[in-house]
Amino acid sequence: MAQTHPEPIAATVPGNVPANPGISRWGVAWRKWWPYYAMMSPGILFFLIWHYVPIWQVQMAFEQVRIIPPNLWVGLKNFQQLFASPVFYQVILNTLIISAMKLLFVFPVPIIVALLLNEVRSGTLRKWIQSAIYLPHFLSWVVIAGVFIALLSPSDGAVNQLTQWFGFGPVNYMTNTGTIRWVLMASENWRSAGWDSLLYLAAIIAIDPALYDAADIDGANRWQKIRHITIPGITPTIATLFILNMGMFLSADLNQIINMQNDVNASTIDIIDTYVYRLGLQTGEYALATAAGLFKAVLGMALVLISHLVSKRLTGKGLW
Amino acid sequence: MTEAHAMRPARTPLERMEYLLIVSSLLLMVVVTVQPLLNLLALSLSDPSKVAGFSGLSILPDGFSPDVWLLLLQHPYVQRGILNSVFMTTASVILGTLGTALMAWGMSRPGLPLRRTLFIFVLVTIVFEPGIIPDYFLMKQLGLLNSYWSVILFKAVNAWYLIILVRFFEEIPQELIEAAEIDGANPFQIFWRIVLPLARPALATIALFYLVFHWNEFFHPMIYLNDQSKWPLQVVLRQFVIGGDKVAIVGADNANNNIGIGQINIRALKAGMILITILPILAVYPLILRFFTRGTMMGAVKG
Repeated sequence: MAQTHPEPIAATVPGNVPANPGISRWGVAWRKWWPYYAMMSPGILFFLIWHYVPIWQVQMAFEQVRIIPPNLWVGLKNFQQLFASPVFYQVILNTLIISAMKLLFVFPVPIIVALLLNEVRSGTLRKWIQSAIYLPHFLSWVVIAGVFIALLSPSDGAVNQLTQWFGFGPVNYMTNTGTIRWVLMASENWRSAGWDSLLYLAAIIAIDPALYDAADIDGANRWQKIRHITIPGITPTIATLFILNMGMFLSADLNQIINMQNDVNASTIDIIDTYVYRLGLQTGEYALATAAGLFKAVLGMALVLISHLVSKRLTGKGLW
Repeated sequence: MTEAHAMRPARTPLERMEYLLIVSSLLLMVVVTVQPLLNLLALSLSDPSKVAGFSGLSILPDGFSPDVWLLLLQHPYVQRGILNSVFMTTASVILGTLGTALMAWGMSRPGLPLRRTLFIFVLVTIVFEPGIIPDYFLMKQLGLLNSYWSVILFKAVNAWYLIILVRFFEEIPQELIEAAEIDGANPFQIFWRIVLPLARPALATIALFYLVFHWNEFFHPMIYLNDQSKWPLQVVLRQFVIGGDKVAIVGADNANNNIGIGQINIRALKAGMILITILPILAVYPLILRFFTRGTMMGAVKG
């Protein structure tokens, strides 16, 4: 938390507190600052209720939920049951596979898009392209899943119509366990390859133009400039975003998958979050689902903190 | 954006080829992005009797008929969804923006007691998320299940947007605020008369963030609202398009007997439904382009 205003306000400097024996330093501070706390109170209350009460309630992971309260404390029994279930391992494996695939096949795409956009000389053309490719980022996953179901339809979908020209038979990508993970990659790219390029583009703009001028004088061509100026210039941004992405490794995007999932493909793209949802809210195994959620939350927290610290150390930028 | 290498010596044919390749690959990306949406639009506007074999590649309607749109927009289930979405989104945006702004204003003041503690208090919620089951139980205990308020109040203040706004408020010149304090203005007056007018672009950005987020939200309404008449458009859409629940839209009688709305091709109805759901996003899209770009930069890494 960088303190942007190094000079403290008079009242908080101990020496400036008027010598009034009846009122403590806290009292003086309170007199000045209570209106701010009054204004912040709705926000603070929201955080307490929606974030801190659930953190407290996570103890359910160690309990047996009974119809008539109180719940019974069972220690680690829920976790033992969880780890004894082969489904849980499958779900963890799926999460890791999907996250790894996203790191390989989704993460680099916006970098390439930013490099390409930066080469477009006409400002109008570039703005026009940007306006088009940013749009899907603002659509919900329900909508995107709907678009992809239509796009990939075996009978009339655009993709199968195209592949037919090359002599391939229709494939039902949505219900094929071999292709559904690639549908996740494609839809994630469709949604955010454009928008995510913005951060890289911003980093490219920040590169000193004199470097390009000097390269021009030396007779460098486009690729040499990209390789030796642009890419080194945005490497810190790439590193930061890569590390922060690692922090989200156990998430793999519930909103995307819950809308792409169907009875046929479920086993291949069932992730921890969808498992928690199904186990808890559909089967009613509340304690078990809470335990699975807690398992993910704790590991996720460790990942986020580690990646934040690594990012701070290496690039000076972190999550906050 | 950088125009640094705009003025350069004459280009060789190879360089022109490269440039052509770069621009065409970007244009291909534009086509891939926009074509699926245009295809759905064309499908929804086609003559219902001709859509059976409508190609996924086409972007022009086959014949023209507003039937699909009219049927959907007159459908009580869809109308209800639109009203629910508009109501819940509006309430969430107002509540979220106001709550975020008020909290950010306090947290941006340098001398505020416990300022650091408050930041940690907020950051903890970003790092540790206990998951959907505790959230659900909390909602149940508060008696808010199946109430609009469950969706409106749930996580009304977003930690990321809060931090973005704090950063923005910190940039307001302290002299302005101190001068107002000397003039005897209280913190409420300073917030209302100085901070809010100065921060209008930032507030617009945050409000837009909330607007897009809440309009697109389907997961929490889906798990908190049992009553179909309370569902927002996204959940209605999900039931119809993803869940394939045709009956909800066309009615059991129509679906079984192929009459009325049941005669309309289900693909065209789905396409129309998808477009109705994204229409509000398209309406604010120029604003999004104007404000989001900057807002994302303000937040440094997170959008």
